[in-house]
Amino acid sequence: MAKEAVKYVWEGAIPLQIHLHKSDVASHPAPPPALVLAPRIGYLPLLIPLIKPYFKDSLPPGEDSIWFDYKGFPLKWYIPTGVLFDLLCAEPERPWNLTIHFRGYPCNILIPCEGEDSVKWNFVNSLKEAQYIINGNCKNVMNMSQSDQEDLWTSVMNGDLDAYTRLSPKLKMGTVEDEFSRKTSLSSPQSQQVVPETEVAGQVKTARIPVRLYVRSLNKDFENLEDVPEIDTWDDISYLNRPVEFLKEEGKCFTLRDAIKSLLPEFMGDRAQTSGEERSIDDTEEADGSREMGEIKLVRIQGIEMKLEIPFSWVVNNLMNPEFYLHISVLVKAPQR
Amino acid sequence: MVQEEKAMEAINDALRALRKRHLLEEGAHAPAISALSKPLISQGSEWKEKTEKLETELQQCYKAQSRLSEQLVIEVAESRTSKAILQEKELLINDLQKELTQRREDCTRLQEELEEKTKTVDVLIAENLEIRSQLEEMTSRVQKAETENKMLIDRWMLQKMQDAERLNEANDLYEEMLAKLKANGLETLARQQVDGIVRRNEDGTDHFVESTIPSTCANRIHAHEGGCGSIVFEYNSGTLFTGGQDRAVKMWDTNSGTLIKSLYGSLGNILDMAVTHDNKSVIAATSSNNLFVWDVSSGRVRHTLTGHTDKVCAVDVSKFSSRHVVSAAYDRTIKLWDLHKGYCTNTVLFTSNCNAICLSIDGLTVFSGHMDGNLRLWDIQTGKLLSEVAGHSSAVTSVSLSRNGNRILTSGRDNVHNVFDTRTLEICGTLRASGNRLASNWSRSCISPDDDYVAAGSADGSVHVWSLSKGNIVSILKEQTSPILCCSWSGIGKPLASADKNGYVCTWT
Repeated sequence: MAKEAVKYVWEGAIPLQIHLHKSDVASHPAPPPALVLAPRIGYLPLLIPLIKPYFKDSLPPGEDSIWFDYKGFPLKWYIPTGVLFDLLCAEPERPWNLTIHFRGYPCNILIPCEGEDSVKWNFVNSLKEAQYIINGNCKNVMNMSQSDQEDLWTSVMNGDLDAYTRLSPKLKMGTVEDEFSRKTSLSSPQSQQVVPETEVAGQVKTARIPVRLYVRSLNKDFENLEDVPEIDTWDDISYLNRPVEFLKEEGKCFTLRDAIKSLLPEFMGDRAQTSGEERSIDDTEEADGSREMGEIKLVRIQGIEMKLEIPFSWVVNNLMNPEFYLHISVLVKAPQR
Repeated sequence: MVQEEKAMEAINDALRALRKRHLLEEGAHAPAISALSKPLISQGSEWKEKTEKLETELQQCYKAQSRLSEQLVIEVAESRTSKAILQEKELLINDLQKELTQRREDCTRLQEELEEKTKTVDVLIAENLEIRSQLEEMTSRVQKAETENKMLIDRWMLQKMQDAERLNEANDLYEEMLAKLKANGLETLARQQVDGIVRRNEDGTDHFVESTIPSTCANRIHAHEGGCGSIVFEYNSGTLFTGGQDRAVKMWDTNSGTLIKSLYGSLGNILDMAVTHDNKSVIAATSSNNLFVWDVSSGRVRHTLTGHTDKVCAVDVSKFSSRHVVSAAYDRTIKLWDLHKGYCTNTVLFTSNCNAICLSIDGLTVFSGHMDGNLRLWDIQTGKLLSEVAGHSSAVTSVSLSRNGNRILTSGRDNVHNVFDTRTLEICGTLRASGNRLASNWSRSCISPDDDYVAAGSADGSVHVWSLSKGNIVSILKEQTSPILCCSWSGIGKPLASADKNGYVCTWT
């Protein structure tokens, strides 16, 4: 049970319906769309070996340079598939309709991708970054043997959690002490026993959590997630790569809210204000105060929205991606000036 | 604790949300997708296998095709080349056929020719046979003729011998008659004496020397080994030169009989000698086909006169110049030499060999005695025959001129010594003796300086001395035993010298 959340994270997959772009169709009739399950923690280029056989008969001859778009919006390949989905589909669309291109790579928008090697390089790079944030150096990643590194990558590619749990301790990431996970493992969710050990630590601990924050800001308000307009450009998405100072104080739990506050202080003053559901739970006094400030409409991690009171330590330990980064997608309404 | 509860609730919410998401996403779609993809994959793999198989088949087909096409190309090229070869061959065949027909024609033509030729050959063979038979006939005839000829020759020889016998008889008769004539020819004797006196007064006065009749042997010298062929006195001197088989010329004092000097250098036997009028040079004719000219004072050979092709048997030199030399050789030539120049200036060729030679006093005429018994006179300048006299029935062995040049003495193998008048070429006297037989073809006789006496050696070793005026033998000198080859009279009247085949020289006073 302890690893239930982690298991869901690793097993998580988005059903994709992939269409071949019209300009690339070289056969008649046009090939039917391909149906594929894309792991949330995976990357789009890793799907190419699966998809390509579907379309190989219809492709024009020549060199392939593959990229994907969603409703004409080119997708960045180095962002995990799950994050892209959470970010771009405010209201989940299942299966997710994507278009694959084999020609005309948009070099001005996307970084060139040279297949699996590029993705692996990106993964290892992120891993190093995360370790630097956590430990202040990245020598453990550097010192990792080539075969271990290779195995780690294969485990990520294949969604092999057991192999990953076997290999990841070698990285010696000083993870955050997470009392809640243990608690849930020890007792059923219903049994709420106070474990005094949490307070035993006593002193204030600081830890730095590597977080990638994707903020999509909207100018106009909306009532329902289905009304969220389609995105036109990557400029609408601001991308924050900022560590979160994890403060552990005596008797106080560092929650997701605290983390968001430290990341986006302009959207969260003293009053906690998040999603619509949150508002209903929280006190209603903040409703009018939010007029002049921006408003956080949605916080989504690994495809789920959650209460902001949730301990950040649990979020970090259970919902982080294999490269030790926590990807948070946020939908905000831009402040009106 | 409230906070903690809240947290736990939130966590549980999150877990629930995760479960819900799981159900919505992978839980809902995964089985469908896998169900869809599996047959597709399996089918794909099947197809793949099939396509691979087909592709490999296709490739094999392609390979086979390419191989076949290559083969085809090769075959086509081969066929083309073979076609070309065939055409060539056909052309060749045509050519060859043409050639063959031509050859056949040639052959037939040649056969015809051959037949013709064989026919002619047959004819020729027949002719040949005929001719051969003729030839045989002829040869038999020739043999017959030869035998006849031989018989005739024999007969002829017999006739000749009879003739010779008859001639001898005649000669004997003649001699007898001549002796009779002499015996009672006082008138002629007187006239001869008168003639001698007149002549003495006319031209011989200055040099006239009374010659004594030799009677005793003064010296007997063994001069040469193997025979002494030639002797000659210096002019107006008692010094004698002898030359012989030992190839040396020796110079003797006849008073004492001692050797003065020897002249060496000749390459052959010395056959004849001459002394120049100034006594400076001696010329010797030798069997080595050469003439050698010695300088007497130095004893060295001054000239070697070469040009004769056989042995030189006679030589004489001009009486008043030491320049012109005449020589006669067995090659039937008479050569005139110039001692100043040292080579031959004229050559006379005659059919009969010349045994003895002599120059006239004026040096313009050559007297030569020949094997055929004739005395011939030659113009030295032109080399023309001036005159010839048949004096002997056999070879002339000696020709010697008298001191005044009016008489010439010839001796022959017929053992007769004739004296001719050089002006008229009439015989003035004929001398012979029953015991006097000349020893060789080159037996030299001599006239005394006063022209009255003639001395001639004989094969029995005696020397006969005749008186010309009286016509009788005045002395027979017998000292030597071997045949006398040569006699010479000193210019000062005495002594007379004679040389024999054993190499002894005797001087007589």
